[in-house]
Amino acid sequence: MNGAPQDAAVPLLVASGLSKHYGGVRAIDEVSLTLPRGTVLGVIGPNGAGKSTLIGLLGGALRPTAGRIQFDGVDVTGEPAAERARRGIGRTYQIPRPFLDMTVRENLLAAQYSLEPFIGRQRALDACDGILERTGLADAANLAARALPLLRRKRLEVARALALKPRLLLLDEVGAGLVDSEVGDLIALIRALAREVQGLIIIEHVLRIVRECCGELLVVNFGRKLAEGHTAAVLASEQVAAVYLGTAHAGAIPSPQAAAATGLAGLVQANAPQAEPAGVPLLELRDLHAGYGLARVLTGIDLVVRTGQAVAILGTNGAGKTTLASVISGLIRPSAGELRIDGVNRVGAGPHQIARLGISQCMEGRRIFAPLSVAENLLLAAGRASKAERSRRLDLVYGVFPVLRERRAQGGTSMSGGQQQMLAIGRALMSRPRLIIFDEISLGLAPVVMDQLYAALAALRAAGLTMLIVEQDVQRALDLADEVHVMEHGRIALSGTATQIRDNPVLRHLYIGTAD
Amino acid sequence: MDLQTVTDSLVSGVLLGGILALTALGLSIALGVMRLVNLAHGEILVGGAYLGLYLLRWTGLDPVLGLLLIGVLMAVLVYPLHGLLLAPLSGQGLEAPMMTMFGVSIILQNAFLLFFSADTRSIDRPYAATPVHIGSITVPQIYLIGFVISVIVIVLVHLLIARTRFGRELRASAADPGAAAANGVDVRRVHALTFALGAACAAMGGTLIGIAFSFSPTSGASYLLTGFAIVVLGGLGNIFATLVAGVALGLLQSLGGVVFGDGYRELAGLVLFLVVLAIRPQGLLSGRGS
Amino acid sequence: MAADASAQRVAALAAGLLIVFLALALLSGWFSDYALELGGRVLLLMTLAEAWNLLAGYGGLVSLGTASFVGVGAYVLVGVMNRGAGLPLACLAAGLAAAALALLVSRAVFRLRGLYFTVGTLALSEALRLFMINFQPLGGATGLFLSPDVPGLRGLFLLALGLFAAATILMELATRSRFSILLRAVRDDEDAAAQIGVRPFRIKLLAFVFASVLMGLGGALQGLKLGAVEPYGMFGLQWTVNVLAIVIIGGQGLRLAALLGSVFVVTLGELLASYPALHLAITGLILIIVIRFAPQGLAGLTIRLARRLRRSTRA
Repeated sequence: MNGAPQDAAVPLLVASGLSKHYGGVRAIDEVSLTLPRGTVLGVIGPNGAGKSTLIGLLGGALRPTAGRIQFDGVDVTGEPAAERARRGIGRTYQIPRPFLDMTVRENLLAAQYSLEPFIGRQRALDACDGILERTGLADAANLAARALPLLRRKRLEVARALALKPRLLLLDEVGAGLVDSEVGDLIALIRALAREVQGLIIIEHVLRIVRECCGELLVVNFGRKLAEGHTAAVLASEQVAAVYLGTAHAGAIPSPQAAAATGLAGLVQANAPQAEPAGVPLLELRDLHAGYGLARVLTGIDLVVRTGQAVAILGTNGAGKTTLASVISGLIRPSAGELRIDGVNRVGAGPHQIARLGISQCMEGRRIFAPLSVAENLLLAAGRASKAERSRRLDLVYGVFPVLRERRAQGGTSMSGGQQQMLAIGRALMSRPRLIIFDEISLGLAPVVMDQLYAALAALRAAGLTMLIVEQDVQRALDLADEVHVMEHGRIALSGTATQIRDNPVLRHLYIGTAD
Repeated sequence: MDLQTVTDSLVSGVLLGGILALTALGLSIALGVMRLVNLAHGEILVGGAYLGLYLLRWTGLDPVLGLLLIGVLMAVLVYPLHGLLLAPLSGQGLEAPMMTMFGVSIILQNAFLLFFSADTRSIDRPYAATPVHIGSITVPQIYLIGFVISVIVIVLVHLLIARTRFGRELRASAADPGAAAANGVDVRRVHALTFALGAACAAMGGTLIGIAFSFSPTSGASYLLTGFAIVVLGGLGNIFATLVAGVALGLLQSLGGVVFGDGYRELAGLVLFLVVLAIRPQGLLSGRGS
Repeated sequence: MAADASAQRVAALAAGLLIVFLALALLSGWFSDYALELGGRVLLLMTLAEAWNLLAGYGGLVSLGTASFVGVGAYVLVGVMNRGAGLPLACLAAGLAAAALALLVSRAVFRLRGLYFTVGTLALSEALRLFMINFQPLGGATGLFLSPDVPGLRGLFLLALGLFAAATILMELATRSRFSILLRAVRDDEDAAAQIGVRPFRIKLLAFVFASVLMGLGGALQGLKLGAVEPYGMFGLQWTVNVLAIVIIGGQGLRLAALLGSVFVVTLGELLASYPALHLAITGLILIIVIRFAPQGLAGLTIRLARRLRRSTRA
């Protein structure tokens, strides 16, 4: 670390009692951390745990609901992002936000000029070119940022933050979606960065990076600090392993009689053989490609879902799981390939048309309509059904999730995360679908709540519902699904039955990142 | 200036504010659901006044009695415009639809000039000027009638949005169009109907204003701005807040006129608008803080 | 190196423009009165369009309040010259007044993002117009008359040329400079810009003030030309409409787009001079058509055409 004349005993960053509440949701709850000078701190935790919120609070993009932040002894709690950046706190975004219509070099110059408005042009250019060299972007200097693929955009994020000569650098999931060799390069870069700045906080999912770069670790779960300490000790703890790979749980699938007893059969268009010509799968993707602009997200996806199946889609962050779900439900138009529903290619159909074909989705993040009450959220999805039919379905859904009946007049988002997820599932059921896509329903939920949700899913499966489960929680998905596909970098890397996949060492490797 | 005149003025302002609130409702709904800044709002309002005028002239039907018909007529006229002009622009950002409506406003203004001449008109009805006495207060009959009708229509619109299936779809489309579509809502159709509903409200309010005051092809601009002032004051998303904001603005306009002189009425409203925009852009009455 | 090439380009462009301007200035002695009047109008509108583009295209701030600054510039010029000051001082005063107005309202309007900003600027210009109609000390609805003599048509043309030349050179500098990088960063992603230390408010304010000064000077010139100012003409919406029409029809960009747009708008105005209502209605129609089918405007079409020609001649 550079020998700064500051008092080495004063920690670089002290956060005390940081909290961020959004209505009833506690994204960050009373988190305190101290970063001594010269430390590389890793922050890990499952998705939805609040890691990005923490970075937002430290970097200044978010105002804390409570708590204080001191940077180098100075209280910066009230300062907006621009001021903190000028003090020396640099930050990258989880989803890169480069200035798309400017070139790579101009992106860096923006930071350079904001730091030193009157610097000589040649000096500015030299400084920027130096940073571009170090971050491997020298050849792209004159390209528009829009033309860069996702991975290079991540490098640009780091480069741009570096142009500000930060003393503390906050890196938000730079490692997501990289292959082994790229991870090696990234580790080298982070180690070099650690020599330039006085402190580094890294949010990561790729545990190899965490292992090799971070001296200290902080584990966050449900917005609270779960564990902290030296990296090796924290990673070896049982608690932490459980949080990551999912808990072991009694995943007994109820028998069909039990399913009938809950009345679920009335909500599921299960036994409608006339709807599906023999042999034609309910859903089929052929060589599907999709992306945003020039960024390729999905490449060559082939997938088949037959009536009555439960298919799981696994994969790390950035693998493209949610994009896949969005393509199937019509929210994103694929750039190539076919999306066949009942054998008919439906590429180009709008989301409401696909919904009317019997495909419902529990979207990532739930997407409950805040201005509507619980009951209204449910009724909305019943669409064109008659009043009597709507009432009938509503009663059935209340039967599956009684808490929704209790709160039926309340605002849709006034409930806890788990209850909102129940509402999302109930909403998907109200249209009497043939297939439901469950997109990351376990995000940020406690194991107890997940038990309830997955019990409901199991019952639905027994009642004949076809399901596509996009999941982060590997164990639960494996317990429920017949067939499993594992995605990596927008492709399907591994496919098989649940049993085959469960014991496959490649799976562990993909998630934990070590070849042990 | 005696107390009686001042009181009469202020009460008139309150009643007028109710009518203004009806016209602003259309603007508010379009902005809230479709994120559309309808710069042709003023011309649609004036168009409603012309519709009322010619309805009376050609059929003898009193515009107040035929108000609903006028609203429906305007909705029908305007509905195809959405599919033709606005729907193709979806995905091009928020300026393109706004500028398109700006173009429409210019066309309408000048179409009015061409077809109806620049003369200032008024819908001549016996109850327009005759006063009515509420206790010791005297106001023109039309103000009271207009206020009552406006409140009724506002309540009806509220019921439409709060209780019907269309209303659910409308609110869902406003909150999260992607999720709404994924749940089977035809968001494009909802937008077109919302646009038509907004135009209907503006037209009905315009007819009432046409009876109470005079209008000309270029009167629309000032009503556009008072409409926005009410929308900003009341915040998006709450229909009754729009009513309260309308009344407040009407009151303030009267106050401005009483204190500074008649020419300053609209200015008072605009200044309030700018002040509120500066302090609290999301509206004085909306629940959400920054 | 890249830096040198860019500097060379700027120098070449500046030289080219200066030559064009000098030529026009010299030749203007042979222009007819009609040409001088029309040319002056085109140049004035081009200046306003370029200023508007700086705000909207580079800064992402779509303003409907052009009239506010035009009017302020005009009134201040007339007021100052009526008190005996010469033209240069009056122009300076007009520019400063426009800048002052921009500063005054900036705190309010910059809190508004996107659409609210646009509506706020519209409200501002209308409010000013209503105020001026009623405010007797500044002439009320009748307005003010300019006491000193108005320069001849050629003089006015040269002034317009001078203003446009100054505006163009300054714009060129602004858009190639580091300021443009900061401005575009704020336009592209205000939050990400803040995260790298850019202070969005200051940057937007600089662009706003710069554009406002240009608009104020344009208004001053107009006031000078007419020899009188009154609220409907100087604070009226037609300024806003005309600039918008130029930018939409011409395309977003500088010089070429502004030129094509201004020429189009002025020509259309001349052709339909006897039918004002029809003229405006057609303008509105053209706006809608251009937005729908040619969002890049005439300039965009021209560039596409040029590319296609180049491709076919190469083939």
